[in-house]
Amino acid sequence: MSVETFVTDKAGLVKFYEAIMAGHETYAPVEKFGKFDFKQVKSLSACDPESPIAKTQSIKPLFFPRSAKVMKYVATSAGTDVSEVDEDPLAVNRVIIGAKHCDARALQVLDKVYNWDYIDTDYQKRRENTVIISTRCDKADTHCFCTSLDYDVENMNAMDILVVNGSDGKIYIKSRTEKGSKLLNSDVTRHASRVPEAAAAPELKKQYDSFAASFRLKMDYKEVNAKLSKIFDTPEFDSVSGNCVSCNTCAFVCPTCHCFKISDEKVRDTGVRYKSYDSCNNGYFTLMAGGHNPRPAKYRRWRQRAMHKFVYYKERFGENLCVGCGKCTIACPVNISIFEVVNQVAEGNRQ
Amino acid sequence: MNYTKQIQDIAAKLFAEGKIDVFVGYRLNGFDDNHVPVLITDPQDVSKLVFTDKSVFNLVNYLKTDHTRRKRVGLVVKGCDSRSLNLMLTENQVKRENLYVVGICCEGVVDDAGQKMQNCAECVVPDAVVSDELLGTPSGQKPYTVNVDIAALAAKPLTERTAYFEEVFENCIRCNACRHSCPLCYCAKCCIDQETATLYNGANTTSAAFHALMTWSLHLAGRCVDCRNCEKACPSHLPLHLLHKQNESVIYENFQEHLAGVIPEDRGAFYKYSLKDPDDFIM
Repeated sequence: MSVETFVTDKAGLVKFYEAIMAGHETYAPVEKFGKFDFKQVKSLSACDPESPIAKTQSIKPLFFPRSAKVMKYVATSAGTDVSEVDEDPLAVNRVIIGAKHCDARALQVLDKVYNWDYIDTDYQKRRENTVIISTRCDKADTHCFCTSLDYDVENMNAMDILVVNGSDGKIYIKSRTEKGSKLLNSDVTRHASRVPEAAAAPELKKQYDSFAASFRLKMDYKEVNAKLSKIFDTPEFDSVSGNCVSCNTCAFVCPTCHCFKISDEKVRDTGVRYKSYDSCNNGYFTLMAGGHNPRPAKYRRWRQRAMHKFVYYKERFGENLCVGCGKCTIACPVNISIFEVVNQVAEGNRQ
Repeated sequence: MNYTKQIQDIAAKLFAEGKIDVFVGYRLNGFDDNHVPVLITDPQDVSKLVFTDKSVFNLVNYLKTDHTRRKRVGLVVKGCDSRSLNLMLTENQVKRENLYVVGICCEGVVDDAGQKMQNCAECVVPDAVVSDELLGTPSGQKPYTVNVDIAALAAKPLTERTAYFEEVFENCIRCNACRHSCPLCYCAKCCIDQETATLYNGANTTSAAFHALMTWSLHLAGRCVDCRNCEKACPSHLPLHLLHKQNESVIYENFQEHLAGVIPEDRGAFYKYSLKDPDDFIM
């Protein structure tokens, strides 16, 4: 793969984004009620690619929508007619700008589960047709801990194009995948100047080092993962989940949670079947038709959440499901931090 | 407003006398001066308790969880929290004899950014109305004012109001965090979660969000105490108080200045009958 590297300045970056918007369907963070969500935009003034990480929802809904139509049906006296839904609006060729590194990484993690067993063709199509442009954060937020996990934040190719704010107002644009190179080789980069990859490397490294030094939360991932995998029955889960109000918002804002429920919107004999988000923290999530619930207590549901993120997924797919974005902690009404939970549980076992 | 020392002492005393199994209060979140709720079962952890103007979350919510059910509970309540506790008692959700209530004469709390919360600026009942022990100096009931946002919205034409609320429902992600964080949403099975309910199907469509949020707000009409737990929980930062404050102002106007949970044993506006209730909408 050829790596394309460009350098430009603030004004050049604006022109770069504008050129993308002119030629492609573009999604970017749009503010509403003080919170940014990724929506289709036509002009740069309507969005903010530099939106603060703490106030931005993940890009997951662009690939796994909060509600997706599965099918339509009409009940007639002769039986039920099932028909395909309209064309998927998310499967067209598009570019996402302003994505955060952790969100981009989350999709890479999710690819594993979507390519395993049942292949979700809708998800595949959305992934294939999307170019993700991600700006590297300059500073970690209060609840961020991406650098403490099992992936290489600096060199990963989860995003197609990387944007880095260098020193002296210089901005580096670099491709990380074939798709990214293709886009950068088109005329969208006409306001930026091409530089050799090696020439930009020291600046990129310098920016990453200062970013990596700004983290409040740090942990030894291997140690935590090893400890958690051995302590299914620890009473610690009960104490760390004590003040959880089971509101489930953590799962809804999580960039990697992928549980869903099926529900119908019916009007007399016709209906649409939807696939929508659900959460393992819901009391009825594991409730079976006969009335048995294998996870009736809150701590069991919390254990499932924490262990799925930090142990089970790693065992099965080789990746940690949590990407360390801190969105769940920010959204939590009682500020339960997944970082704190896994560390406390792992720690508790030691004593 | 700082009652950290008093609350620690009360909790320690209650544990020493064997009067409670669990104490529900606040602790520091561990990295800045914001507070998170904590459920203390070990008397040694009493020193973790704090109470300042950062103690925002309504702890009455925890009376519906397994950690407190059928247990003797010590609880810290501010003015608004105590009103929701009053309703929980009236609606037979908790037994008074199982509770030891530390009431606070609240001077208003602040949000994460340090700004005084809007509901505190408009608070009518700052002093705890249910308590075994009252901390601080009671300042008495304040005059009722219509919420500023409701007043501002009411001044706008209908089309603008409709557009505004459409935006609210559009941005709802149907996580139901508002409902779960509400102290008065205690139904074992909420109507919004009924698998067969076609109105509230789990889909994240604007119409489903509209039906779910409107049903929720109407079930809380005459009961909402304006603690803003729902808004604190909303990941989309929706102005959910508008739904409740509108109901509250209509009820205050039409039902003999009824305010939820202020008087013990007082059932909600919709649960009692009075000859003075308006009936001009009945043909």
